Amino acid sequence: MKSFNCIGCPKGCLLCVEEENGEFTVTGNTCENGKRFAISEMTEPKRTICSTVKTVFEDAPVLPVKVSSDIPKDRIFDVMREINAVLLDKRIDRGDTVIENVLGLGVDVISTSDILNRK
Amino acid sequence: MNNFDVTVIGGGPAGLAAAIKACDEGARVLLIEREERLGGMLKQCIHDGFGLSRFGERLAGPEYVERFMDKLSEKTVDVRLLTFVTRIEKTAEGFCVVTVSRDGLERISTKTIVLATGCRERTAKQVFIHGTRPAGVFTAGTAQHFTNRLGVMPTKKCVILGSGDIGLIMARRLTLEGAKVLGVYEINPTPSGLTRNIHQCLHDYDIPLYLSHTVTRVFGADRLEAVEICEVDESYKPIESTKVRVDCDALIVSVGLIPENELAESVGVELDSHTKGPVCDCQLMTSVDGIFSCGNALHVNDLVDFVSASGELAGLSAAHYAKKAQCKVNIKIGNEFLYLVPQQLDLNADNSRVTFYFRSKAVREKSLLRLTVDGQEVFKRVYPFLRPPEMQQLVLNMDKFAVQNGSDVRFSIEVAE
Amino acid sequence: MKIRAINRKLKKQYGNAVNASYEDGCIVLRGNLDKWDDVVAAGMLCAEPYSKCHVVNDIVFTGAEAQKMRMPSLKDKALEGDKPDVLIIGGGISGCSIARELSRFKLDILLLEKEADLALGASGRNDGEVHPGIDLSRGSLKHKYIRRANRMYDAVCAELDIPFKRVGQYACFGKMSWLPVVWLFVQKRKYIDGIDDAKLVLGSKIRKTEPNLNSDFAFAISNPSSGCVSPYNLVIAYAENAVANGARVSLNTAVTGMEVKNGRINAVMTNRGTVYPKIVINCAGVFSDEVARMANDRFFSIHPRRGTNSILDKKAGKRMGMIASVVGASIPGKTRTKGGGILHTVHDNLLIGPDAVETYERENTATSPDSIERVFAKQKVTMPTLSEKDIITYFTGVRAPTYEEDFIIEWGRKTENIIHVAGIQSPGLTTAPAVAEDVAQMAASALKAEKNESFNPVRHAPPHLAAMSDSERAELIKQNPDYGVIVCRCEEVSRGEILDALNSPICVPTVDGIKKRLRPGMGRCQGGFCSPLVTKIIAEYLGVPLSEVKKSSEQSPIVFESVKGGGENE
Repeated sequence: MKSFNCIGCPKGCLLCVEEENGEFTVTGNTCENGKRFAISEMTEPKRTICSTVKTVFEDAPVLPVKVSSDIPKDRIFDVMREINAVLLDKRIDRGDTVIENVLGLGVDVISTSDILNRK
Repeated sequence: MNNFDVTVIGGGPAGLAAAIKACDEGARVLLIEREERLGGMLKQCIHDGFGLSRFGERLAGPEYVERFMDKLSEKTVDVRLLTFVTRIEKTAEGFCVVTVSRDGLERISTKTIVLATGCRERTAKQVFIHGTRPAGVFTAGTAQHFTNRLGVMPTKKCVILGSGDIGLIMARRLTLEGAKVLGVYEINPTPSGLTRNIHQCLHDYDIPLYLSHTVTRVFGADRLEAVEICEVDESYKPIESTKVRVDCDALIVSVGLIPENELAESVGVELDSHTKGPVCDCQLMTSVDGIFSCGNALHVNDLVDFVSASGELAGLSAAHYAKKAQCKVNIKIGNEFLYLVPQQLDLNADNSRVTFYFRSKAVREKSLLRLTVDGQEVFKRVYPFLRPPEMQQLVLNMDKFAVQNGSDVRFSIEVAE
Repeated sequence: MKIRAINRKLKKQYGNAVNASYEDGCIVLRGNLDKWDDVVAAGMLCAEPYSKCHVVNDIVFTGAEAQKMRMPSLKDKALEGDKPDVLIIGGGISGCSIARELSRFKLDILLLEKEADLALGASGRNDGEVHPGIDLSRGSLKHKYIRRANRMYDAVCAELDIPFKRVGQYACFGKMSWLPVVWLFVQKRKYIDGIDDAKLVLGSKIRKTEPNLNSDFAFAISNPSSGCVSPYNLVIAYAENAVANGARVSLNTAVTGMEVKNGRINAVMTNRGTVYPKIVINCAGVFSDEVARMANDRFFSIHPRRGTNSILDKKAGKRMGMIASVVGASIPGKTRTKGGGILHTVHDNLLIGPDAVETYERENTATSPDSIERVFAKQKVTMPTLSEKDIITYFTGVRAPTYEEDFIIEWGRKTENIIHVAGIQSPGLTTAPAVAEDVAQMAASALKAEKNESFNPVRHAPPHLAAMSDSERAELIKQNPDYGVIVCRCEEVSRGEILDALNSPICVPTVDGIKKRLRPGMGRCQGGFCSPLVTKIIAEYLGVPLSEVKKSSEQSPIVFESVKGGGENE
């Protein structure tokens, strides 16, 4: 049995997962998301990344970005290297893609702010 | 125009929500923001997890707040950016708000004011860290500003004091950006931040958390060179024999937030010694008739969703404000509480849907929350656990509890069987 | 005291570890001791208060490693071959006030300061009190200058355009039975020592003026001439006025040695080149005995003494409007502090302190909790509502007393072209305006200098908008919209004011330099909100990246470059 806290919401439920013949039994969760998180944590842990990319603009030297959906936990620093390599010279909008299909993981790095573009 | 029904001071999530709501209710609204850009602290809170309860999504701070900014731009709210309120004067019609900006000095008359001034961080000196005064001592928020807005690194190798949420978030953030976070040190025997942040910010990145530890001293004449770490006893006194010197180039302190209420105090708003924010009634009106408070200026929230909700309530109340007689009853709390807001009930107002926010003083197992009116129990609820970092929200119809002028209204927490 | 008597006493205390000899008009102590308190006590034992026969304490302290003087990292030849008429060593209150008084003469004046800014030693790390001299009796140099200098303050601060308030001082006593003795003391001070403002006030008057002081106080010695200034602002203002009148200030410049021939200093070596001055004025504070040694003119010793002050929030500042301290009350615990009190600062905070602790470390300004505990224990007697919770910051300064506990203001004894202004400790800030006049006269006479006809004593401080009326403020913002952009919310400092400070006669483009001049970062948030903004303004002003901006010294960067935007994936 393994136990850890859920990161799905501020409640931070203490989840307990029991594995038997590839089947997982989750207890301690108070919602379905908790169950999903518990199983994913046992099979392929995933996390999001929020960071910034450098821009050429003085009014906003960095632009906040995130990955469009969670990526495997063990690829976080690989993706960070890609994010750090960017030097943005276009005034893109919130939600716009900064890196498409980063490292072939099937997720994009997208802007989370319109700081470069708000009138 | 410089004549308004509602003037909102502060363009962060609370102020934005207040301004939008007040405008929706038909008021002439002015929103004043000190910075060049709206959004408040969320501009630098680039991590995700915002808006879960309001939007059912896990948004980054800028994404969350920009939704409100987008909404605001559709409204007829007057917005003054890079504008600083130097003082508030009381007038026959309400208030005069005196501002300073690049355009000069302006006197703005307004019927009501919503204070959405947010909070500030406690400093290293406030937790009595001694030693030299080198470069490299930052509050977590300042480190966040440098990292997330200015794109520079406040440290390459640091120690974080305080396991509050900003401290935990910064531990992960700095690690992602290539810095080494040697550890998070917490003077309390329990973490100050949310459990999920301990998990996703520290455990995920193998950053150790040391409970019942504190930083007692910094070293370095120019840039910080090391800190002295000490274990503390039950009364939080450093244990001399446990002193160790840890080499690093920065100390980042995340030792609590204090509501910013200098403006409020200057106009005579009464403050609650527990929250350090104004004493408010259930419409979020302060002790000064016509002045409302919301967001982290009212009390320090752990979720922005609550901040926005209180902003909306303050905006709504301010828009419908009419000078009238009040009948205020204090809501008392037992020693088991860290605090509870609102602290008063105006019997002449609609209290059919009052949202209370509270925190317990200590980590508690299964607990019973009880509300009594004149000794009669009118409401109770069982909580599986209560932890000071996790604020609880409780919505009650206070109108049905037959509260009278002079009633003893009292919340208490006890061990549940 | 005869040298044999001294040696008997030393032998009794320290065995054969220490001995004294009489050399060149000084008492020279030699030997080894492993406790610093003993080293100091041995010096004290030989010293006679106010004597011109000084103790030179050469006892080797074996208890810790010798501390090297902090050196600027800068190395260049900017001053190589410079031939000033007067070279002033040290940019504290003495050096800067003397530079300004000397600039009344047609002289080439060069002031060296080894730190990145002025007033970084004791001059900037004290309580800022302008003393009345109630603790001083005739016979000392301190006494010689105190009344004259105290009276000069209104005019000097008006000329230099810095705030000064004569808030008055109460030295409070708890027991009525002491009244006759204290009355006699006050009469002596007043009529014999010339401390003419001293008078006694009773408890009822104390409570009327300052209701938050201890209600048990029976009476107090009142000195209405006491006042407060911002000590570092005074130093900076003096230096700016000196520069405006032609003097030169070289920061980050340390004296590393001197070439002395036939009783004259020929050359002074620095990290920025060798300088050939006609006269050297030694205002080197805790290092003044070291400078004297370099000049081959060592006839006194400095024994550094630390003092820690706390600053309370402006909200606490409302509780008392003057300077007050308790005298002779029984103090809880084993507190034994010298002087100190509660002072309403010129910026309307309360300042609590200082204490006094002997130290072998001349530059260790690290604070420690016991200093604050001690000071608060004592001053809670003065004002029972005093609370550590109101502390927003604290700082330590290191005083530079001699063993005779008096100033040294005189020409060199063996080297002829040096003036020592040494042993300047409290009330050295107060006495500075008068001392500076005299020292400048000494140097000017020796050089037969003419009057500088174009000397202008008036310095105009850059505008301070938060203190202005609405209309004045509006007018200034109209002229310069940057005055309307508030950068520091606690102290209401605008971008325009920061740019003014950067463009002032002595530009110190560091976060601390700006903080000292304008106070962003000195409020209750201690720079939490404004430090990134100030850093950015400095970077823009200098045209450098943020990572080049320093807190104070060259070795104190605020932030580091990020790896972002590099393009390559290593």
